[in-house]
This record gives sequence, structure tokens and C-alpha cells, in this order.
Amino acid sequence: MELSAIQKMTDDELVRLARVLKVPIASRTVKRSWLVEELSNTMEERKEKRADKPKKLPNPAVDIKGMSKRFGKTLAVDKLDLKVSPGEIVGLVGPNGAGKTTTLRVMTGIIKPNGGEVSVGGHDIQKSPIQAKDLIGYIPEKPTCYPSLTVREYLMFMGRIYDVPNEETLVRMSHYLDMFQLRVHLDDYIGTLSKGNLQRTLLVGIFVREPPFVLAFDEPIYGLDPRGAWSLKAHLHDLKKEGSAILVSTHILEVAERLCDRFVIMNDAKVVGRGTLKELLNESTRATNLEEVFLELTGGIPE
Amino acid sequence: MLWNQFKRTIRTPSMLMFYGITIIGVYFVSVIISTVLSFGPVVFLLGVLVEDVLDRGTVFTAMGVLTLSSIVGGYFGLGPAAVLTENDESIILGAPIKPYQLFMSRYVRRLVRKIVFIFAGLVAIFPIVSSANILFMPLFTLLITTIIFFEVNYFLGGIASYFKVKLQQRTNNPIRHLLVVLLVVLALLPTIPSVTSSSVESMLVPSNAFAYIVTEVTGILSWGYGPLVGLQFLALGFLISFLFLSALCDFDYYEVFATAAGREKVEGRFSKIVRGQVDFTETRFSDPMSWIMLKDFWSRMRSPLQIWKYVYVVFGTIFVVYLNLVRPANLAPMQIPPELSSTAIPAFLLIVLLMIQLSSVTSLLSFVDEQDNIYLLKASPFKPIDIILAKYMLSLMEVGLSSIPILGFIAYFFRVQGFGALLTLAAPLVLIFTASGIAIGAFVPVFTNDPRILPVPLAFSFPVVNLTLGAVLIALVAALAHELLILVALPFYVLAIVFLFLEAGVHAMNSFR
Ligand SMILES: Nc1ncnc2c1ncn2[C@@H]1O[C@H](COP(=O)(O)OP(=O)(O)OP(=O)(O)O)[C@@H](O)[C@H]1O
Ligand SMILES: [Mg+2]
Repeated sequence: MELSAIQKMTDDELVRLARVLKVPIASRTVKRSWLVEELSNTMEERKEKRADKPKKLPNPAVDIKGMSKRFGKTLAVDKLDLKVSPGEIVGLVGPNGAGKTTTLRVMTGIIKPNGGEVSVGGHDIQKSPIQAKDLIGYIPEKPTCYPSLTVREYLMFMGRIYDVPNEETLVRMSHYLDMFQLRVHLDDYIGTLSKGNLQRTLLVGIFVREPPFVLAFDEPIYGLDPRGAWSLKAHLHDLKKEGSAILVSTHILEVAERLCDRFVIMNDAKVVGRGTLKELLNESTRATNLEEVFLELTGGIPE
Repeated sequence: MLWNQFKRTIRTPSMLMFYGITIIGVYFVSVIISTVLSFGPVVFLLGVLVEDVLDRGTVFTAMGVLTLSSIVGGYFGLGPAAVLTENDESIILGAPIKPYQLFMSRYVRRLVRKIVFIFAGLVAIFPIVSSANILFMPLFTLLITTIIFFEVNYFLGGIASYFKVKLQQRTNNPIRHLLVVLLVVLALLPTIPSVTSSSVESMLVPSNAFAYIVTEVTGILSWGYGPLVGLQFLALGFLISFLFLSALCDFDYYEVFATAAGREKVEGRFSKIVRGQVDFTETRFSDPMSWIMLKDFWSRMRSPLQIWKYVYVVFGTIFVVYLNLVRPANLAPMQIPPELSSTAIPAFLLIVLLMIQLSSVTSLLSFVDEQDNIYLLKASPFKPIDIILAKYMLSLMEVGLSSIPILGFIAYFFRVQGFGALLTLAAPLVLIFTASGIAIGAFVPVFTNDPRILPVPLAFSFPVVNLTLGAVLIALVAALAHELLILVALPFYVLAIVFLFLEAGVHAMNSFR
């Protein structure tokens, strides 16, 4: 991706990148092609110097065993078992209040479970949270972000937090800004973005890091326009092929049906069905699609 | 992030103008105040009075009580989780950041911001300070040490909350709250006179160090060794408690935050008993204003603090009535020497002004409390004037009620000549301040598109506007005191200003961002 991404960068970005990489620009005008080549060579060199091995997720990448979570008297999640392998997109579906968001928040280490074990990338989220969180990319149910940062600042900030070298952040940022049509908003304050653009910003904020990821997306499609949704789905497929493990909670079953390899259906804090669409359909007597499976497992198909 | 806010302020001309006006305004007001009254005698008088009434031990204990209250507050509060925001939940809490890093960076940011404000404030009130013959350096030292002391207390509160969280994980037994008692004893024990009067080491306890500094700097009850020793100990205490609390920050606080955030809008246990149920279908009134008022009243009632406010009003009023009727001998009012009575009256008025200003903050918040619902309210088929009036009436009631106990206290303890007549000025002040609070609050969604947060310039302008208008009112009364014209001029002034503010509020509602 490197070279092609650099080729697509705007002039302004190339200059920024040159500054980060300390590639001297001696004269007032330089040939674009020369600069691109110079920059990509320098990046290669740096990469070799860093010599970091490509990360690989263990199998399973997410391993939740017997996890329960209660809020006061409400039991939000009841002894949940859930595994996600690298190279797999798992859909977490269920009616409102089933416990999907709670599951994802426990998995990302934001709240603690009352019982059970959760490990991400082979790291226990309780015992070594930092290593686990290093892998996680989380999109919350209600996307929010620091309103007084600009999009560019936020993305650089994310790069910093996750220890991505600056030049990598710049190149990847440029690539994903194009993918999610965000470039026009690059210098806008996040507080002024529309809901969908905020969502896209958060997504790019995750993708500036180096894959593979363990993604925990809470209704990521919701709020995106058709083009944004399409870009996201396409990119999730690519990530999956590269070995990321992806857990998506969603209500939009048509999307889930095409996007996910496997489903976990929750109802009232418990898992009521799991498997591929085919398996689910086989188990059911009447259902002919995911929607009907869902309805049947969570209270019956209305006549 | 702080830098960013600053940059944005600089870039937005209206904001910049607002800051400018505010600071210049405060400066101007304080120039006026300091030319009208001279504070020198008042300050001197206070010093003498304080030496009469207090002894050294009491000062130390009083500071200990301050520490204690923040420890208790911290124990029942969120501790370091309070620095987290919803935005953090989306971004930082799931990121590989250690909790202490988050806490420290947040804290430092807060501190920097505080210091900036203090400097701005100090510049603005400089005229008053110099008129009071207070030297700048001692005042500055006092301010800085007060801040440090409060920060230390904040840390201690945070540490108390850590113990609570840890204890709560072990046991649910109500006996665990005995820990508070233990902490209280720990806070108060070092302040007993036999400890504080004997050794320098007692200053390892921040409240002692602070009390020592206060006595040395003000010269009241001082030993005369100079404040430096105390300063060193206080700074030490600050560093130790900061680092200690930072080290204690762990992932448990995310949990504390997450549960608190879920509960945020829901009531405390106590208000649950009181609230009853509101059935909007049964209201006798049929105009939108009263619906909004009912809704506001009950939704505020359910916020945890509100109920305590009413409790305070009730008990405060009872106590004040008791004071003024019975005049208990052991709680004597201040004796004001006759030669000071002419300066005492303006001082009295100023205190009344400030107290009503404090009580009227609720009116400023009545729009902010709506949070994003303000847009719902605006989109509903209500006329803006109805909304504004509803908010105004309700706030008027609240501000009026909560002013009663304070005014009663002032009337009792600070008995200047003709205080009864002077106190009647409270009513127009309440009317005006509430109106300006509503108007300024209504401008919040004009300024930002996050109506939950009160922009600093707006918050700042509130007291400035009020004090200016209040000062004008008092000047008006003073000038016309012996003429019949006052009976026309005063109501006219008040009504005109209230009307203007409400009109401004309507205007604001029509120009939301
Ligand atoms: N902070 C909290 N405090 C108290 N109860 C909570 C809290 N968070 C979630 N719950 C409860 O836990 C249960 C599960 O909630 P959760 O948000 O996980 O559902 P969900 O499956 O994500 O629903 P939706 O599809 O509506 O997003 C609900 O009954 C909810 O009321
Ligand atoms: Mg949810």
C-alpha cells in the first residue's frame, strides 16, 4: 500500500511528510515524482531499521468465558461465552437491551465483569490491560470525541497514543481520509462535524494504526451514509483477509447477513443462538432468512 | 487540548471580545467600588474582630475541618473518576493508556487553567486591593497557598475514595462506612492544640501548614516566624499527595466512572422518597408555561443536590427566624463601632449584592440543565416567550427562597444602621439577577453547539453584568434617597432591565446556532 498511498497524497501532505522524515527539500520547486520516490525510499529504510515483526493475532483473538455483568439488580450479561478468531467477522445481534453494548464495553476493558474471563489477543483484559488494549479498536454506541480538537489533531493524537511512527500515521491517514471522504473536514473542529462524519473520524482514528486489529464496533453502520457504509464494509472485508478479528454489534440484519461470517444472537442477557447463517437456518423449522431466525429466537415470529 | 481551546478563543472574535469586555468590566467595576468605598477601615476592623473572637487552636481546627470535609466528600464522591468524561470513554478508556497517565495529564491541565484564571482575576480586582491597603505580596501568597491547600484536600479526598472503592470490592457490609469515621479522626487528630503548638513536624499535615501560613501572612494570631516554613511543608504535602493519588489510580476508576455515568441523570435515594409522581395529564393549568415549569421543577427535584437545597432553605429559614426572634446570648451579632458606621453601610450592601449574586446562579443554569433537550423544547410548539417566562418564574422562586436564609444571617450578624430598609433592596436585586441569568443562559446554545457546557465568557459575564447593574441600582437609591421620585424611578429601572433581559432571552432563542 505504501507507494501507492504516497503517490495519492496531496502536495501539502507530501511536504509535511518530508518534514517528519527529514528529507531535505533544497530548492523552492521540486519534482513531485522525485519527492514521492525519495519519501518512499526513506520510509522503507526506517521500516527496516525499526525491524518490527508483523504482528499476528493468536487464535482465538477474543476469548470470553462465562462472563457476567450486572448493574445493581439488572443482569445485563449472563455467563456469556464468545470466541472470535483472526480472519473472522462475528455479528452480535439481539433486541434492545439484550446486553450487546455491555459485552463490548467489558471486552474493551472499560467496565469490569462480575465474573468470568475475558482475554483479547491472548492477554487477559484484567491482568494485562495495556497489551490487550493495544490491539483493540472500539467504536462506541454513541460516538463522541473531543470537540475542540481538529480532525487532523485527533488523528495525530491517536497515532501517538498507539505508538505509530509519525510518518506512518501521515501516510495511513491520507489513505483513509480518501477512503472515508473526510479530507475536506481535515481542519474542522470535531465539535462541528455531523454525526456520520464524526463516526468516520473515529474509524480513521482506528485505521491509522497498524493492523491486525481486534475490532469491537457497536452499531458502526448506523449513522453512515450508503457510501460510507459501503467503504466500511469493503474495508472490514480487507482487514478480515489480513487477519484481524472483528466483532460487530448491529440491528441492521440485511447488513449483518452479508457482512458477518458467524452470528451470536443475544436475548435478555443470554445467548439464544449461534453459528453461521446456514447452521442457524438448519436448526430452525420455519425461518428462511436471518431476520426470521432472529425473531424466532427472541420472542417468536409475529403472525 | 487546553492549547486548542485557547487557540479557538483567539480565533473567534466574539469570544475574544467577550473575554476582553469581561476582564475590563471587572476592572472597571472594582475601580468604581474602590473609589466609592474605602476598604481599609473595614479590613482593619475585621482583623481586630477576628483576634477577639478566635484563638490559634480554633484556626488550626477550622482548617482541619476543611480537609475533613473534602475527605468525606471524596469518600462519597467519584475521586479521580471525576476527571473522566464521556469522550474519554469512547477514546481513552479503550486505549493502551495507564490510568495514572490520564489522571496526571487531566490534572495538570486543570491546574494550568486555574492559575490563568486566578491571574486574570487578580489583575481585575487590583484597584480594590490597593484601596484596602492590603499589600500585594501577602495577598498573592495567601491566594496561591489557598489554592494549593484546596488541591491537597482534593487529593486527600481522592485517596479516601480509593479506600472506599477497594473496601467496597471486599465487602458490602454497611459497617464498612466506619472507615469515614477513621479518616475523620485521622484528619482532625493532628489539629488539636497540643500538637500544633509544640512542634514544627506538625506542619507535615497540610491543614496545619496552611493555618500556620494564614496566621503568619495576615499577622492575625501570628508567631512572627514568617510563612516560609509553612510554604515548604505545604508544597511538600502537595507533591506527596499528588504523586500518591496518581499512583493509586487504577482501572477500577473506569468502572466507578461507568457506573456513575449510567446513574448520572437518575436520582439519589433520598429524592426518590420525596419525588412522588408527576402526572401531566392531571394538571389544572392548560398553558404551556406551567407545563414547562412543572417539568423543570420535577426534573430538577430529581437531581441529587436539589433536594438538599430545599432542606437548606427550610432549616436555614427556621434557624434565621429563631436567631432574629430569640437573639441567643452566646451568638451575639457583630458590634460595629459608630465611627465606622458610614463605611459599614456600603460594605453591608456589597455583601447583600454578592450573596444574591451567589444564589442567582441557578437561573444561569436553568438553560444549561436542559442539555440537548433545549433543541427539543425549541422544536416544540411553544412560543419562545413562554419558555423564557416559565424559566424566569421558576428561577425567581428558587433564587428568592435560597436568598432568605443568607439575608437573615446578614441581617442578624451585620447589623448596620437602617439595615431593614436596606434589605428591601434585595427584592429588586433578585428580580434583576434572575432575569440576567436567564438571558445569559439562553445565549449558551447561540455560542456553542454543545448546550451542556457553559462557555467560560458567558459564565464570567454573569457576575460582572449583575454587579454593575446592582451597583447602578444602589447608586440610584443613594442619589434619590430623600426624594419621592424614587418611588417611580426604582420600579421603572427594575422593570425596564428585567424586560430587556427577557427580550434578549427571546432573541437568543430565535437565533440558536
Ligand atoms: N450503566 C448502566 N447502569 C445500569 N444499567 C445498565 C447500564 N448499562 C446498561 N444497563 C442495562 O443493561 C442491559 C443491557 O444493556 P445494553 O446497553 O448492553 O443493551 P444493548 O443490547 O446494547 O441494547 P441496544 O440494542 O438498545 O443498544 C439493559 O437492561 C440496560 O438497562
Ligand atoms: Mg447497545
